Amino acid sequence: MTSVPLNAYLMLALILFCIGLFGALTKRNTVIVLISIELMLNAVNINLVAFSKLGMHPSITGQVFTLFTITVAAAEAAVALAILMALFRNRSTVQIDEMDGMKH
Amino acid sequence: MDWLSLLIFSPILGMLLLATVHRKNESLIKAIAVSATALSMVIAVLVFVLFHQGISHAVSYQWINFGHDNIVFLLNYELGVQGFSVLLLLLTSVLTLLAAFVATFQIKKNLKPFFLWLLIMEVGMLGVFSSENLVLFFLFFEMTLVPMFFLIGRWGDRERERTAYRFLIYNGLGSAVLLLAISALFARTGTTNIALLQEIMANEVQGSAAISETFRNGILWAMLIAFGIKMPIVPLHTWMVRVHVHAPPVLVIIHAGVLLKIGAYGIITFGAGIFPEQFAQISTFIAILGVINILYGALLALGQTELKHVLAYSSVSHMGIVLLGVAALNQPGYHGAIFQTLSHGVIAALLFLIVGIVHSRTQSTQLKDLTGLAKAMPIASGCWLVAGMATLGLPGTSGFISELLAFLGLFETEPILAGVGMVGLILTTVYVMRIILSMTHGKHTLKPPTELRDLTHSEMAPVFVLVLLIIAIGVWPSLLTSTLNLTVQTISIGIGG
Amino acid sequence: MCDKLLPYAWLIPVFPFVSFIMLLAFRHRLQAYSSYIGSALTGLSLVAAIVVWVTGWSVQSVQHTGVWLAFESVELQMGTWITPLNLVMLNIVAFISVCVHIYSHTYMKDERRRSTYFAWLGLFTAAMLGLCLSPNLLQFYMCWELVGLGSFLLIGFHFEEDKAKAAAKKAFIMTRIGDIGLLAGLILLYWQTGSLQFTDIYTVISSGELEAFHVTLISLLIFAGAVGKSGQLPLHTWLPDAMEGPTPVSALIHAATMVAAGVYLVAVLHPLFMASDTALTVVAVTGGVTATVAAVIAIAQTDIKRILAYSTISQLGYMMLALGSAALAAGVFHLMTHAFFKALLFLTAGVVIHHFKTRNIHQMGHAFSELRFTGMTFLIGTLAISGFPLFSGFFSKEAVLSAVWHDERYLLFSLALLTTFLTAFYMFRLFFIVFMGQGKPTSGPKKALSMALRLPIAALSVPAIGAGFLYTPWFSAFGNWITQWQTAQIDPGHEVPWWMMPSAIMCSLAGIMLAWVMYQKLRVPLRELPYLHAFTLRGFYMDELYHYTIKQPLQFMSTTTVYIEKFVVETVMESSSSFVKWVGKYGARLQSGQVQTYGAVGFVGLSILVFILFWTGGYF
Repeated sequence: MTSVPLNAYLMLALILFCIGLFGALTKRNTVIVLISIELMLNAVNINLVAFSKLGMHPSITGQVFTLFTITVAAAEAAVALAILMALFRNRSTVQIDEMDGMKH
Repeated sequence: MDWLSLLIFSPILGMLLLATVHRKNESLIKAIAVSATALSMVIAVLVFVLFHQGISHAVSYQWINFGHDNIVFLLNYELGVQGFSVLLLLLTSVLTLLAAFVATFQIKKNLKPFFLWLLIMEVGMLGVFSSENLVLFFLFFEMTLVPMFFLIGRWGDRERERTAYRFLIYNGLGSAVLLLAISALFARTGTTNIALLQEIMANEVQGSAAISETFRNGILWAMLIAFGIKMPIVPLHTWMVRVHVHAPPVLVIIHAGVLLKIGAYGIITFGAGIFPEQFAQISTFIAILGVINILYGALLALGQTELKHVLAYSSVSHMGIVLLGVAALNQPGYHGAIFQTLSHGVIAALLFLIVGIVHSRTQSTQLKDLTGLAKAMPIASGCWLVAGMATLGLPGTSGFISELLAFLGLFETEPILAGVGMVGLILTTVYVMRIILSMTHGKHTLKPPTELRDLTHSEMAPVFVLVLLIIAIGVWPSLLTSTLNLTVQTISIGIGG
Repeated sequence: MCDKLLPYAWLIPVFPFVSFIMLLAFRHRLQAYSSYIGSALTGLSLVAAIVVWVTGWSVQSVQHTGVWLAFESVELQMGTWITPLNLVMLNIVAFISVCVHIYSHTYMKDERRRSTYFAWLGLFTAAMLGLCLSPNLLQFYMCWELVGLGSFLLIGFHFEEDKAKAAAKKAFIMTRIGDIGLLAGLILLYWQTGSLQFTDIYTVISSGELEAFHVTLISLLIFAGAVGKSGQLPLHTWLPDAMEGPTPVSALIHAATMVAAGVYLVAVLHPLFMASDTALTVVAVTGGVTATVAAVIAIAQTDIKRILAYSTISQLGYMMLALGSAALAAGVFHLMTHAFFKALLFLTAGVVIHHFKTRNIHQMGHAFSELRFTGMTFLIGTLAISGFPLFSGFFSKEAVLSAVWHDERYLLFSLALLTTFLTAFYMFRLFFIVFMGQGKPTSGPKKALSMALRLPIAALSVPAIGAGFLYTPWFSAFGNWITQWQTAQIDPGHEVPWWMMPSAIMCSLAGIMLAWVMYQKLRVPLRELPYLHAFTLRGFYMDELYHYTIKQPLQFMSTTTVYIEKFVVETVMESSSSFVKWVGKYGARLQSGQVQTYGAVGFVGLSILVFILFWTGGYF
């Protein structure tokens, strides 16, 4: 079968990244924001793997780095959810625009 | 023997000793503070004497060097004095000693931090007048700002905090401008050593012709603004009036006596000293500024109802004479300007000293409350009269010499402006007469009648010292001019006048 | 031998200065002896002055100076200078000062602050003597101001009284206005001639190097100083108010010495004035107008000291008139005779005031029978000032009148004659009201005047009568002597028209007659003409004029400046710090606390940076 061109992977990653960014910056529910951040990270992963196979100098470095990124994303998600739980217990809300304690 | 460094850092010894004393042990604190300032004074006198014997106190230690190949940036720890600065050093140390002495009975609470701040400030003041390097000068200059902020803010009267902030912001702005100027100079010439800068600006060094006229003018103006805030020059004077009124009188002795003179010193030494040609070009403008200072200050002093306000505007007015003297561009003018710097320091100190004493007796500085003091306090009134006469320039006091020399100089180059400035002398007479007469003559009516004791022995000492200084300089001005001769000659050769 | 003593002339002012220092420093301990110390030391300076006079008789101009302040281009000196003019002044001042000291011994014996009084007297005398000895304008000016200080201190001696306080303030400020003119003139003269030494100034003037404009300007400025110190119009209103000071002070300062300093100034710089016709005219006109106006005002006064004060102003006007008419000798001569008879008049007036416990002449009367000695001596003084033949005032007025006539100033001449008439009139009005007529005899026991009061009065009567003989149209020894040191075109004595003397005598006698008729015979008071009376009594309302034209505008300017300061300057300066605060306040609104906003901003910023990076070719 004809191989998928590089551009297609990059476009996919871009679209995913933009969706993730949009979600991170506009959604009111913190859980959704966290999900969007995960989405952005995964978009980066796609980019990395695509360049590892189809980039200028194909090597396995991209895929190895992807493993690192997935691990870090998982850890970060765990920490973020823990913080969210603590916040919820204090304020009984997960709406991110109500968490403005750092206001001037 | 590096006497200058010893002088500058001598108050630190006092600070260290003070730090070990418990804050409740007031008498020990007072003793240490006075001895520390006395030590500085002794060293200052020594420096002066050695200076007269021809010993140059110039020292230079390597400090910061960077750069490579042909672009080398040098920032050294360089100290040096000339006639003007050595006299200012003497003035500083004497006034600080007097202030410390007077503070022992006028400051009632938190003595230990007061003296600590005072000593730090003294280091700064002494350093300012000894620096041969602009960056070092700036360092010590800033060093006087912070202690002053705290001193005003903690020991002043009801408006002290606002005054302290106003002081800091204004002087900070001035410092920012000055820093800009110094950095620009440094970047352009690679050095901030004053003597070297003078040579460069006098086009004696290779490559100095490349420094444009615009650049020189710009730096000069920046310096004028920065030192004009300090001096102060109208309209940049409003902070100073506040400080004079709301700071404790002890502090105003130092402020009016020394800190304001840093502005004058800056204009003369750096403005006219480093950029003589540009300065000569704007001399008429400087003379106009001086005349405005004199008249504006005098008119404002006439309309005040509170004694410290009158004295504050009187200070503004008298610094105008410094400007007039420098703008005259001739030897009598420079002598006059420098003389006024020194003489006004002593006179302002005496005025505020007496104000402090009177305030401690009557708890008021409103003119309508202070009348008829001559009956109960004849010695204080007599010294107040001497101070007033010195302010208006009666012959026999140092005020006359400075006014005479400054106007003598200005009449040669700008007779019309000088004539206008002289009207200011008449106005000075009017407001001085007002405060002298209202305070001493008439009957005392303050209710309830307060107990008015005349000067105690410990108050008499500083007052008499200052009175004697004023009269001594007034009768033998050659005491000072012989020291100043070389400085003035250098300046006038530079300006070509 | 003679020349050896002259260098020590500087001691003359030192003696009273020592008195000043001693009495001020030890005023409590020396309270009882203060008058003795003061009189003794002043007496010493009188002795020294006489010695210098005798030894320096033939001297034209000798100076001993030392450098006081010198730097490269400027050299200022201090020292002494002996000329005939100085010698006259020195001796007059010292003599009258001694008389006043002795008189004050009794007059001020109940005063609580005696030592301070004599200390101030010593200061004043020292400054005045120093002024007379000055070899250059700078030292002159310094002593001039110190004399002003002494006057201020003595006028305001009774400082608890508001009137004394106001009078001292007025005196100081008004004379200072003139002094500033003098200072300006002095400085300008320095730049024109290169030196402030009088001898150098003379040299430059006689060589004709100065431009006419400069000469006129400088002389007018210097004359301003003289106008202030000598109480000429328009700076005269301080002198009558200065009468609030003790009477011996008025005798010393405001009659004989300080006010004469202005005349001395014009005299010593006469060559400068002579070089400018405008200046001479200004001097003469000022003098003449002052003389007449002051005489008119004196007619309506009721305070004995104020009458004498206005008469001083008037007589000083005479002196200026003479100097302005290019007659140095006449002016100085009148200075000398006036010093004696005016001091005499004041001292005797002091006795009268003390006797009646008032200064209002209408509360006095019939004094001649109770105060014989005083009455006699007062009469001597009055006759002298009125120009009664053979008294000193007669000869000096003669000299002045003939000088004015000789200079062809006919209008001023008629004013001067009129003033002679008026002077005689008001002085004898004073005499008749106070010493003659029916008054209530005082009830106190009549005790004889103490020696300390009699001696100075008697001492002054002698020259009041006799000093005139030194310079008459037939014997111009004084004139010759005093002008010998001037190489300029002074002509000490000149042809006097035959009718000069008789007409002057007639004016004086007419005045005396009118006074006798009005006040002795008919007792017609001047109050018949109400408006004229009020006008003259209040000194032509000059004080009020000054209040409205100078004091109030000045206060207005001051208040305006205060408003400018408050609303303009402060606002502008305030705006810089309020701008900073404003930026801070509204800038802080960026901290909304919203994480997502921060994120968005961060992202946008990052994109811009990356974009710029690619635009400029990247980092690699």
